[in-house]
Amino acid sequence: MNFPKIENIGFIGIIIAVILVFFFFILGFSGMMSVLGIILLFMVPFYLILDNFDLSQDEKIVFSFFIGVGIFPAITYWLGMLISFRIAILITFVILIVVGFVMRKVWKKNS
Amino acid sequence: MKINKKYLEVFIFLIVYLFALYMWTLPFQDNKVPYGEWDAISHWELGDFIAQRDRTFVNLPPFLDYSYGPDNRFKPHTLWYHPPFHTDFAIISAFSNDRMAPIYITNAIFASAILISVFFVINRLFGFLPGILSAFVLTFSMRDILPYLWGQWPERFAYAFIPLILYCFYMYYTTYSKEKSKPIYLYIMSLLLAVNVFIHPMVFFHSLVGIFVFGLVLIIKHKKIPLNFRHIGIFLLIFILLFAVFPYQSGNVIVSFFGSSTPEDKKYSPLSRLLQWSPNPKDFVGSVPESYFSFKDMHGLWTLPFLLIGLLILVVRRENRDIFLLAWLISLYLVLHRDLIGKFMFLHRSLSASAHIFVPITMVGVLSIFSFFKILKVSKSLLKYGAVILVVALTLVYNFPAAQSTLDKAYDSPFIRINSAQVEVSEWLKDNIDEDDNVSVIGPPPEIMQKVWWMASYSHRTSHYFEGFLTWGTFEENRDEVIRYHILNDYIVFDYSDIALLSDRSLVERWSTFEEQNFAGHTLLYNKDNIRVYKYELS
Repeated sequence: MNFPKIENIGFIGIIIAVILVFFFFILGFSGMMSVLGIILLFMVPFYLILDNFDLSQDEKIVFSFFIGVGIFPAITYWLGMLISFRIAILITFVILIVVGFVMRKVWKKNS
Repeated sequence: MKINKKYLEVFIFLIVYLFALYMWTLPFQDNKVPYGEWDAISHWELGDFIAQRDRTFVNLPPFLDYSYGPDNRFKPHTLWYHPPFHTDFAIISAFSNDRMAPIYITNAIFASAILISVFFVINRLFGFLPGILSAFVLTFSMRDILPYLWGQWPERFAYAFIPLILYCFYMYYTTYSKEKSKPIYLYIMSLLLAVNVFIHPMVFFHSLVGIFVFGLVLIIKHKKIPLNFRHIGIFLLIFILLFAVFPYQSGNVIVSFFGSSTPEDKKYSPLSRLLQWSPNPKDFVGSVPESYFSFKDMHGLWTLPFLLIGLLILVVRRENRDIFLLAWLISLYLVLHRDLIGKFMFLHRSLSASAHIFVPITMVGVLSIFSFFKILKVSKSLLKYGAVILVVALTLVYNFPAAQSTLDKAYDSPFIRINSAQVEVSEWLKDNIDEDDNVSVIGPPPEIMQKVWWMASYSHRTSHYFEGFLTWGTFEENRDEVIRYHILNDYIVFDYSDIALLSDRSLVERWSTFEEQNFAGHTLLYNKDNIRVYKYELS
């Protein structure tokens, strides 16, 4: 099975909506926010980075989660020594998103 | 309307995985109060402390240092685990602005991530049906559910990395040639290995054994060694850089690995041990229930014939994908027998990885049975879907009830989850006394001791003299000393909020008499819902 392309925003939107509604019903607002946090903070930045490589859709989704849960907190942890932990989360997110976009630009330029 | 097959398969996986998460979150759907054994307390409080304090730390705060100060053998008084796992909890807790549900839901997703990685790998190598059936059956794996409930959280998550790491190795090896190769898989493997060691070092070593066995068998079969120094150099560089990011914890991994193992008498001859799959349950009486070592109770006997058929098929066929599963199985066998080289620590915990490889092999067995017979293609297809229905039915009849009842009833006793009054006083202690101050809770008898540990965790305050003070004989001998060091210095909590649960009413009398005799006239700081907090002041 190959997952549908992420470019199919409608399908991805439906999947995420189903997941969020499901968690809202079983665990309330904070349950829903937790899952949103996992997708947004751990998966999205690394998906954007892995999207620059020759990997299949499902590989990018799965690897982005398993790499994200290790690398995102590693950066946040060290930043959190110097500044507010909440701000460290935000800065880590911004850094990784920027890395993803810069890589895409550089890759495109070189190809 | 024609439904796209890809979309349908994604939706089926989504349904299975959400159902699994529904099951695995049963213990806290209706009761959002933290629960679990000692290990769970440590994992929860590490994440919660960072989120609540809004800062990370290198040196342990006093309430953690009391219990875990020596646990990092390389640099005592620092975190004994690599920080990412607990920082993940803190990130989601801060993002969701809640102390309990976010940490537990993150943990449930982490612990059940084995369903994602097994589905992904088996789907890629063997197709959708074995993949989705494996994920479905793993939902009810008691060998996963029990340690998840007991609190062995990082280990549960770390096991989900093994199939992915082996998959990356498989992809790199099988696509490797001098002219063309896909080193990205090797680099991702390096990242996954580094994250794996961050999550749980013991499982990281399991991954290394898996790569070694898999690589060796592939090299023997194909007589091909993928030796590209540039690829290997980048692979090592990524891993070493990440390993060095947390020097104290990585140092602890090295020191613990090469450090002396607790000597144990050899209980079995090497031969008899080699012929046993799991360690002897009698060696774990009191810490792990005997059923944990039983194939019947953990996997269901109905899976055994299919598991053996699956094994036979893999051994006979020996395609690369078959070798993948066999190498994974052999690596588990080797790790489970590490006691033969003197590595006894957490031996029983490696057993908890057995369903991850047994289940996919079982599904290969179920779905391959009909390949033995010469029948029409249409009939074969029908029989295959019949086998799928059979597996689902057998799982629902034999595996679902135990899993459902265990998860649904887990920690629902008022003896082990703190009540709202205890939550409130814990919050009060956290907000109103200094981080260095100690808190002693006077009174609780052993049957509700677990709640006191959770109060310590919830309040982030040291509580090294928690109870049994009035009932445990051990304190009779040094009662004066205890009073001198604790009663005179600590904040003292008298918690009568569980009186209705206690069968021994005489204890309550002693408890209240002790309070009247020793604390009358001293500063009462908190008095709510049958809980009082004092600060002893010398007159």
